Amino acid sequence: MITEQQLTLALFYCQNVPKSGEEDRQALEEEFGKSIRLFPIPCSGRLDPVHLLKALERFADAAFIITCPEGACRYFEGNHRAKKRVERTKKILSDIGLEPERAGIIIGSKEAPKTLAEIAKEIFKKISQMGPSPALKQG
Amino acid sequence: MITAEQKPIDEIRGMIAPYKRILVLGCASCVAECAAGGEKETAMLASALRMAARMEKQEVEIEEKTIDRQCVNEFIVLLDDIIDKYDAILSLGCGAGVQAVGDMFPEIPIIPALNTEFLGETKSQGLWVENCLGCGDCMLYYFGGVCPLARCSKQLFNGPCGGSVNGKCEINPDLDCAWQLIIDRLSTFGALDRLEEVYPPKDWSKKQGSGPRKIIREDQQR
Ligand code: SF4
Ligand code: SF4
Repeated sequence: MITEQQLTLALFYCQNVPKSGEEDRQALEEEFGKSIRLFPIPCSGRLDPVHLLKALERFADAAFIITCPEGACRYFEGNHRAKKRVERTKKILSDIGLEPERAGIIIGSKEAPKTLAEIAKEIFKKISQMGPSPALKQG
Repeated sequence: MITAEQKPIDEIRGMIAPYKRILVLGCASCVAECAAGGEKETAMLASALRMAARMEKQEVEIEEKTIDRQCVNEFIVLLDDIIDKYDAILSLGCGAGVQAVGDMFPEIPIIPALNTEFLGETKSQGLWVENCLGCGDCMLYYFGGVCPLARCSKQLFNGPCGGSVNGKCEINPDLDCAWQLIIDRLSTFGALDRLEEVYPPKDWSKKQGSGPRKIIREDQQR
């Protein structure tokens, strides 16, 4: 059986996500070991499809971005842009026959904010159903 | 600049299928500006093609490189040292770039990854519009700096056609009526009298009258 631990997640996140400071990042890395690669970015609007694609090509079974809540981006429209870029990435994945769900976006919620660790766990749950990515070099 | 869009990945994969060592070649000029063939887009396409190949267990080597300009020999020669490794080049240059690289390395098959579209302007982020047909005899002076060949749906030289509504084109209401723009502009600088002239139909001989065009400038030559 595939355990969550065997999959690798590339997780990009806006630094405004609750509990996503340096210490939280280290704690999460300790908990998940090689299964998680964390990429803090100043704003989710910095994300480009090339980042997600390279992660999926090189090491990740899934690549996600967490943004701040709708309307709460410090730079006004970063999360809105990130959404479009994830859409573009999904389109490329489906064009090459890879499940588009391997790229994803989690938009934070103003009403029920979640921490980086909570969201990471939810994503792992989601991707564990997909299993290892066929686009990665096996072995 | 010259605008272009990437071809569908399926079409590209079909064309590169026979080859085993492919150079995906970007161009950092016009097609980078229109987000079709610059360094980033080249990296994305190469990455997608490598993943696709891996999923189908194909043994192919796909590498990427971007040069400043694919349509100028001084930049293309920079590939001299590496080109022998490859058995095909997948170019993200415009049609002119693809052919220039092909001319420099005639023994290696070259494949276009883009559909080259038009001479355009970056209107806003993510929006490019066609505004010159490269007719070879520019008449923008007479039309207040707005080209009726490229921007009027009917290519009228003696407009407007009478169908424009609220400044929009009757053929396509998404477009500004070029003739409304021409008249507004000429009025602004008090030059409406330029339209008193009746302009004869466009003389296309300067565009395609005698086969492929060429510009020769002796002062620029060696
Ligand atoms: S090959 Fe030349 S004309 Fe074509 S996109 Fe590159 S710089 Fe522009
Ligand atoms: S008249 Fe129009 S098509 Fe001709 S060169 Fe001028 S802008 Fe371009």
